[in-house]
Amino acid sequence: MGFFRRESWNLGLVAILALLFVLTKVVQPNYGASGIVGLAQAALPFAFAAAAQAIVVIVGGIDLSIASMMAVTSVAAAVMMEGASEGQAFWIALFILALGTAMGALNGILIVLTRVPDIVVTLAMLYVWEGVALMILKAPGGGASDWLMGLPIGSIPLPGVPESVSSFLPKALLLLVVCIAVVWVPLKRSKLGLQIYAIGSSEQAAYRTGVPVKRSKVAAYAIAGLFAAMGGLVLTASTGIGAPIPGPYLLASVAAVVLGGVVLGGGRGGLLGPIIAVFILRLVRTILTFLAVDPNVTTIVEGTIMVAVVMVGGVLALRGRRRSAA
Amino acid sequence: MSDERIPLLEASNVTKIFGAVRALTSASLELFSGEIVALLGANGAGKSTLVNVLTGAIRPDSGHVRIRGREFKAASPTDARQSGLIPVYQESSMIPDLSVADNLRLTNTEPAPFRYWLGELGIGQLGLDEEAGGLPLATLRILDLARALASEPEVLLLDEMTAALPTDLVRKVLDVIRSQKARDCGIIFISHRFVEVAAVCDRASVLRDGRTVGNLAIEPGVEDRIVDMMLGGSIDAAAARKAKSADDRAPGLPRLSAKGLSAGTNLADVSFELHRGEVLGVVALEGQGQDELFEVLSGFEKPSGGFIEVEGNKVSFEHPADAIEAGLAYVPGDRAAALLMQRSVRENIALPFSAQVSAWGAIPVKREGERVAEAIERLQIDTRAQGEVRRLSGGNQQKVTIGRWIATGTKTLLLFDPTRGIDIRTKRQIYPLMRKFAKQGASVLYYSSELEEIPLVCDRVIVIFSGRIVDTFNAGDADESTLMRAAHGLALSSAEAA
Amino acid sequence: MKKALSVLAAVAIGIGLPSGVLASDYSIGVSNTVQGNGWREQMICAIKAQALSSGKVSDLNIAHRNTDAAGQLEDIRNLIQAGVDAIIINPSNPDGLNAAIQEATDAGIVVVAVDQAVSAPTAYVLSNNQEEYAYLGAKWLFEQLGGSGDVVYMRGAAGASADSDRDAGFHRAHDEHPDVNIIHEVFTGWQQDQGKQQMLDFLATGIPLDGVWTSGIDNVIVDAFLESDSPLVPIVGADNAGFVGMLSSVDGLVGAAVTNPGSVGGAGIALALNILGGDAPGDRTVLVDPALWENQTEEGKATLAAAENPNLDPEWPVSVSIPGWTDYSMEQIIACKGPGE
Repeated sequence: MGFFRRESWNLGLVAILALLFVLTKVVQPNYGASGIVGLAQAALPFAFAAAAQAIVVIVGGIDLSIASMMAVTSVAAAVMMEGASEGQAFWIALFILALGTAMGALNGILIVLTRVPDIVVTLAMLYVWEGVALMILKAPGGGASDWLMGLPIGSIPLPGVPESVSSFLPKALLLLVVCIAVVWVPLKRSKLGLQIYAIGSSEQAAYRTGVPVKRSKVAAYAIAGLFAAMGGLVLTASTGIGAPIPGPYLLASVAAVVLGGVVLGGGRGGLLGPIIAVFILRLVRTILTFLAVDPNVTTIVEGTIMVAVVMVGGVLALRGRRRSAA
Repeated sequence: MSDERIPLLEASNVTKIFGAVRALTSASLELFSGEIVALLGANGAGKSTLVNVLTGAIRPDSGHVRIRGREFKAASPTDARQSGLIPVYQESSMIPDLSVADNLRLTNTEPAPFRYWLGELGIGQLGLDEEAGGLPLATLRILDLARALASEPEVLLLDEMTAALPTDLVRKVLDVIRSQKARDCGIIFISHRFVEVAAVCDRASVLRDGRTVGNLAIEPGVEDRIVDMMLGGSIDAAAARKAKSADDRAPGLPRLSAKGLSAGTNLADVSFELHRGEVLGVVALEGQGQDELFEVLSGFEKPSGGFIEVEGNKVSFEHPADAIEAGLAYVPGDRAAALLMQRSVRENIALPFSAQVSAWGAIPVKREGERVAEAIERLQIDTRAQGEVRRLSGGNQQKVTIGRWIATGTKTLLLFDPTRGIDIRTKRQIYPLMRKFAKQGASVLYYSSELEEIPLVCDRVIVIFSGRIVDTFNAGDADESTLMRAAHGLALSSAEAA
Repeated sequence: MKKALSVLAAVAIGIGLPSGVLASDYSIGVSNTVQGNGWREQMICAIKAQALSSGKVSDLNIAHRNTDAAGQLEDIRNLIQAGVDAIIINPSNPDGLNAAIQEATDAGIVVVAVDQAVSAPTAYVLSNNQEEYAYLGAKWLFEQLGGSGDVVYMRGAAGASADSDRDAGFHRAHDEHPDVNIIHEVFTGWQQDQGKQQMLDFLATGIPLDGVWTSGIDNVIVDAFLESDSPLVPIVGADNAGFVGMLSSVDGLVGAAVTNPGSVGGAGIALALNILGGDAPGDRTVLVDPALWENQTEEGKATLAAAENPNLDPEWPVSVSIPGWTDYSMEQIIACKGPGE
């Protein structure tokens, strides 16, 4: 019972996603394994952006520079990997992850030290990182090592599992799950994870109970930077190049965070919800493409779905709370 | 209390200046182990600043704080904790979105002793996986205390710990605090309730205008001296008046009548009349249905049964604005819910005026200004902090919430525990204000969690227990013990005075 | 839209999409990543008009939104899933789409990149020759100035491949006229308001200039001169309807329009249908060369006058068709209706 109540939002999202898969199959009866692989590939950069945004929102902030950090890490990776050996590329990837973490930490440090509101600091950093990306690479270019490009492509061949089944398991999904879990699972269990939730829930109470508020905030922004770097790397991996102009990941990350049940203002939610939300939003686009809906209408549909889900979810959550209170 | 002993906690000549305001000029405090010291002072005397210095939230400009004779330079609440000083603040420090268990993890508190103290405090059955945000305020305060006790503090600082608690819990809390003396723990106890101070404290340290003005042993009759010290002898003794008898009540239709009001499961069939020129007290223990009663009367919630009459006309409120329209103004106990904390005193008082102006009409600035000035004068609102309301003391904030309605010319005030957490000087200004307001023909419904103020303010009093009115008294006939018994549902039906 | 509704209706009664249509009833997908720009809107309308007039396309599936290379990968993969026979793409990047293009051609889908090239070897490319576009205009401008003078160079969007190709062409012309001095270089982002503000800011400095080369943000540059009462200098732009009109009507304006037809989209459809019909070109890259229309010779003036069409959106290129490739009428492209609409 407790599980269902705690996870009700995520379960609702899973139900919506399942419904959308059924709808996709109805609209396009040929939709199958390769479609799901493509969906996971498309969701990959959005999912990392959403994860990055989610952790910052949970700590009670917001980071408008996520898409720009993805651009910086993507072009940095592309420039460094061009002509590098496969072995070197591995170290380059690690360096890029460290770079993203440092960039995120810088965002956090600026917020904590200057006491300028996070929305202002990260808006400023949006421009700074955008400029940095263009300095590294004026035009899309660079390269990516083959193993990196191969990471999100295709499905996972499982020994003993027939290909008809295993072809439904995209490598991109595995990559996503592994990367997120490696960071999130230990974090969620750690004191730091608890402190991040505590600060988002009530910064004053957290401060008074001895939570190192500044340090934990910086850590949250640094982890967001790490996720953004993962997003930048998958951009480079999927396109084989780096593009200095940021893609549409900022607003999409906020949308996924809201749809994913993370409360703007902090303290509530997790990473699973926003990531399912990313898949929902991607699948909606797939369905609209299959239906050849007027492209100008698709964004309206996407926006409407988001408002509707958040509204209905809010009403249901309120009802649930009333019932449990009564 | 020999002077050779090293005090557990010693603050000497602490000063703190914020801009132009000298919050503390020379505050000192000594606490020995096994001792409970009350820290007393009117609002604005510097209590909160001293608490913040002791808990490491702010750094003093000069002066020393020593723990066991060791200089303590607290830079953060964490440092204070490590030195063995554990505070329980006025507001709960439980993180609302975390479970109780996670809240314990956050402060490295062992669950076993925590459980033990919960049991001692009477809520041992509470599940630790409950989310803190869903628990009632009183329970949260108990959790704060239990968590503090579980970490076996050397110095325990209790800041208005009992303010939100019902009477039965207060007794348990006081018992537990007393038991800590045996452990050689030192306790700083801050409360506006003299009864509690007298019940547990050994000494009282009194602050006035940022300096420590006295250190008294608690003994019978010391209250008056403490009040004198706190107020500097400037208190109007006439404030404590005997309530007038109900006989000279103004004739005519009642201003407000409740006819068989019910709401949810907490309020059942409540009927009463509030007359012109009357202050009607409401006495109830925590959670007996008084919250629902005030919500229904102020239009926040619709009654599930019964109805309301204003001047003999049946009314139905769809929205709080309807209640205001009908002349019923609600002053909540939580001042933050009623005030625009970041706006000025003037704007806050003037707010109901602009509600009367059509949405795009010009605000009549001159008339508004005169009435605001009049209200500030009448309420003696301390306007040193003319700027934002949040910079005012709690007492002055409450005066602003009451003042805005008086300035608007409201006929009926619904006051819900208006004196919670307010110092005695402001309280004693609010009482005669209410009397004067009633004398001018207004009506006041007055719920208070502090029984001793009922005879000072009210003409009549209704007692609610389990959602029903169980008794009605003339306030003049009701002493604290009578009210207390009635509020516990003990002395059902004494002389029905109406 | 009507088609979407009919598909929805079909879904509602549970029969799904009809498959196994006539061999000549092709389904074509389109992927474009810049929305709200006159040139790209004309490209989409040319695609629709050519698909309609060919009579061989049963439905068009247009993924048209503002996104990056990764977003375009997603759109291409969705189009593959939608089971189209050919995909026309205006690539956001020449190298970033190779994975999805490979997947498409592996699935037997014809891929034609229009406007800009892609490096995927299996795709056909039909594009305007952007290097030539810039070279032609810049050369005309530099010759107009007598081989020396101060020129403002107003580029497109930093990082776009068309911009870097044009930059190469511009510098090729500059190398031939080394005495021309580039006194100001700026990216308009291909945004009208931004370009205009940049020009106004420059004119306000009072620094003398002899000519302006623009990457297609042109009529607002003329506006900037007129509004700030600055003496006009020769201006090179694209064949956008608004600018072409100005070349004929604004007194004292010396200028040239270089054609950069958005109708390459229509040509892309024609090329895709040729390939589907078994008639693939020998070379996988087909370049459409631009033409230059100036207002200094009688011949040029006549071309400009003939190209003018008051019914066209002022931000659209006036070269609405590409002889030899497109066969729709002026009315058809203005109507902007595809098959089934």
